[in-house]
Amino acid sequence: MLRSQRPLLILATTGLVALVATGCSPSADPADNSSNITLTFWGSYGNGGNSAQQEVLTNDLIPSFEADHPGVTVEYVDIPYDDLLQKLTTSAAGDALPDLVRADLGWVPRFADLGVLVPLSETMDDFDVLADAVYDGSLATNLYDGSYYGLPLNTNTRVLISNPEALDAAGMSAPPATFEEVVAMAEALEGSGIQVFADGGLGAWNISPWLWSGGGDIANDDLTASSGVLDSDENVATVQMLVDLFQAGQISNGITGNEGAVSTSEGLPSATYATILDGPWMQGIWADQFPEFEPVYSAVPAGPGGSVSVVGGENIVLTTASEHQDAALDFIRFTQTPEFQLALVATGQLTIIEDLGDEQVALVPGLALFTEQLSTAKNRLAITGGAEVDTILSTELTPAFEGTISVKEALTRAAEQIDAVLARG
Amino acid sequence: MTTLVDGSTATRRAEALASARRGRVLNPKKSRSGGLTPYLFIAPGFLIFVVTIIYPTVQAFQMSFFDWKIVGSQASEFLGLDNYVRAFEDPQFWVSSVNTLVYIVATVVPQIIIGLAVALLLHMKSPAQTLFRILYYLPVVTSWVVVSLLFRFLFADAGVINFTLGDILGVTDGDTAWLADRWTGMIAISALGIWKGIGWSMMIFLAALQGVPRGLVEAATVDGANAWQRFRVVTLPAIWAALAFVTVMLVIGGFNVFISVYLMTGGGPAGRTQVLLTYMYQQAFEYLDLGYGSAIAVLLTIVVFAFSVLQLRAFRGRYGEDSP
Amino acid sequence: MRSRATRTARRLGFTLQHALLVVGALIMIAPFAYMLSTSFQSQTFVLTTPPQLIPSDPTASNYSSVIGTQDIFRYFANSVFVAVVSTSLSLLVSSMMAYAFARFRFAGRETIFRVLLLGLMIPAIMLIIPQFVLAKNLGLLDSLAGLVVFYVAGSLALNTFLLRGFFESIPRELDDAMQMDGANAWTRYWRLALPLAKPGLATATIFTFLNCWDEFAWALTIINDPEIRTLPVAIRIFAGSGNNAVQWGVVFAASVIAVIPVIIVFLIFQRYFVQGLTSGAIKG
Repeated sequence: MLRSQRPLLILATTGLVALVATGCSPSADPADNSSNITLTFWGSYGNGGNSAQQEVLTNDLIPSFEADHPGVTVEYVDIPYDDLLQKLTTSAAGDALPDLVRADLGWVPRFADLGVLVPLSETMDDFDVLADAVYDGSLATNLYDGSYYGLPLNTNTRVLISNPEALDAAGMSAPPATFEEVVAMAEALEGSGIQVFADGGLGAWNISPWLWSGGGDIANDDLTASSGVLDSDENVATVQMLVDLFQAGQISNGITGNEGAVSTSEGLPSATYATILDGPWMQGIWADQFPEFEPVYSAVPAGPGGSVSVVGGENIVLTTASEHQDAALDFIRFTQTPEFQLALVATGQLTIIEDLGDEQVALVPGLALFTEQLSTAKNRLAITGGAEVDTILSTELTPAFEGTISVKEALTRAAEQIDAVLARG
Repeated sequence: MTTLVDGSTATRRAEALASARRGRVLNPKKSRSGGLTPYLFIAPGFLIFVVTIIYPTVQAFQMSFFDWKIVGSQASEFLGLDNYVRAFEDPQFWVSSVNTLVYIVATVVPQIIIGLAVALLLHMKSPAQTLFRILYYLPVVTSWVVVSLLFRFLFADAGVINFTLGDILGVTDGDTAWLADRWTGMIAISALGIWKGIGWSMMIFLAALQGVPRGLVEAATVDGANAWQRFRVVTLPAIWAALAFVTVMLVIGGFNVFISVYLMTGGGPAGRTQVLLTYMYQQAFEYLDLGYGSAIAVLLTIVVFAFSVLQLRAFRGRYGEDSP
Repeated sequence: MRSRATRTARRLGFTLQHALLVVGALIMIAPFAYMLSTSFQSQTFVLTTPPQLIPSDPTASNYSSVIGTQDIFRYFANSVFVAVVSTSLSLLVSSMMAYAFARFRFAGRETIFRVLLLGLMIPAIMLIIPQFVLAKNLGLLDSLAGLVVFYVAGSLALNTFLLRGFFESIPRELDDAMQMDGANAWTRYWRLALPLAKPGLATATIFTFLNCWDEFAWALTIINDPEIRTLPVAIRIFAGSGNNAVQWGVVFAASVIAVIPVIIVFLIFQRYFVQGLTSGAIKG
């Protein structure tokens, strides 16, 4: 008996000893101000297996910064994008945030509202200089309650990407450039088994380019009301066009949230879909997984409002938890330099510095179109309730697509709910 | 002196019992209430439990009464029962509740029946026993994240399930949009739940079947009892505790379903396949409305607790707690 | 009396039993087989329909990518450490509690048990924030010890509940006999109850190990240092954002590697499920 129990006893004792050992190991003392400051920087540069960006960051850029700032070490922690928000939220609650975060645009108002971000416009003497250098649209995503809580780090936008095979099947030599051409293409593709368009949902990121190009918007300029704006005639016409295409089977039901539909990243190269709206990161992904595919990039189809796309990207923010704000601010300045920006351009990220636009195109010619689209691109609502707005749009517009209610009614209902979100600030 | 010989559990037990009966002196009163001893046995575990589970639970419970602000420096507004009232008036809450209940019924019953059936089949001597055990246990062992993504892939419009049903079996047209609709979505999610859980209940039943007195089974056979009667009279009472355990655990697990729904449908489309925990997660971590999220979690806990107590009482009543 | 008919019936039953098991097993492992086969395919072949079970162009590149560039053995080792330590501690502590519940009558017994059960019913996700603050106050953030403490805590309810049932089914006379001989509670627990509850302990070991091995949310939340990252978080990072083309081959290769230790633990401990020899000594 004892024989058989001894292993358990040994195991448990070892466990206790190990537990005590790991728990009590002294951590490196960071409070030594004279030398060795460590800045922690959280981000999602890892991007799944597509780690080119993270490698540039950790192998080239951070060492370069550290060389110029002796005594400062930057520790980058990669976190899967889908989980970064939860981790940030929990860490905020537990007062354990890192110094710097590469934050999604929509998160800045939210965390600024929580009071965990440092208002850079008030803390940095050279803020105005840095702010002038970046795109207005990108800068605006950092604005909350009169102050700027971050600086843009990189930007991106959506453009129309087409499959050349599908263009041939529709008898077109160039991608559709206007709403009318999209509809015409759909008709030409009848019976070919190819759907003219696909998207992954009906949130702001998905539907805004259509609404804005159609001449409408989601809310008014001072963000006080959505009713009267979202349910405008222009928007009704735009959404009706999409609904008609959907009903004709020309838009995949991934747009209404069917997770089982072929994803856009796989459907376009395989010619299941003729066109999608997507960003510059797809280039790297397709080169890896569908090397024979040659996508055709063009501007968002223009409607009565022109060809207007949506601004995406990430900002860099400084948290109030940071004990080394000066060093952290230096790193932020570093991210705004041509060295930093252009190094990442080579990996498929768009720079936020206006003047670097030409160099960017010289480095990666494929980015010319994105740069151009960015000049007219607009922002989604910079409010704390951004996620709710997305859900409201998806939930209310889905029945319109399925034909159970009219487009006008769906937009009106959505607008009412968005009013409530806007009222909360 | 009780001597326990190396060998199987059942043999040991039999020998120990026999030897105990030989040497027994009548003095039964002594050990039932052991003074301080039981408390000493419980102390380490219960202490850890109270500090790391109960205390946070109380805090989470507190959160539900406020419009809770994440960062401590901001004052949270006291709402009283407002979050709870809101839940009852929230149609999405009710949709989520119904979906959760549907999931429970659809997954618990098959897991128990199939798990028990497989355990019975594997309990009989079979040369490939270990191999079968591994095969049935594999789904349990694979990570939820990976199998949820895998099943989303399998149930995709162009996926294997449609291919099998349509092209191979000819049962359907092969183009069911499983994840696009509420009930087909629930079928897909439940299929994953059942597939992943059978091995788990099988394991418990296998362990419990060790305690079925073989002698009784053989005696019953000699007496002319058929398979069902043998099962009902001999086997079932012997595995009753395990059955209670499995049922309670599976129901709790059903109430707590999260990752599979989150990754397969995201609760969509338009919240139609939302279950209670995914809804709670959305409210707490995407909308940062932790007060409301906590309220939903508290309601869920209360329901689960009530269910479990009722179940335990139902099971206990039939065969009693103290062994003869 | 065995007639030929009975023998045939038996053989038929035997075959039927096996047939059912085989069909069931095929259904059980089909998705896993698909996963295994996909792990040997390069990305372009992953998403074909009809699905290929035997890869037409097998490659080990996913595995070499996972092992080489992605540092998987470090995460593997971290997971092993956490799972082994947590499981051992949990078994020790919860079997002690289960023994007390099973063998003693004392004030507050059922109440304490019900409080313990409550732990099973609370959605762990809801506790993440309060537990995070607690972990921070205890100095357990960003450490493997932080994982172990909370994993043990989280498994106590289940294991105690499970083991209580097994302990209760051990005949009381055995305890009484040992007590006559002067054995105290600890001795009875250590020398009588534990050995006789081996199937229960084995089950608890398998489950606890598995839960610790697979746990994701807490590991993600409190661990920042990549050196002490555990396997599920690492796999999640491979999988990237669910919307862009997931590198299924790499994810599945990592998952296959991740499954191996759990299977090993299973193989080791499931021996205790081996059916005993005929024990005619138990009289009703």
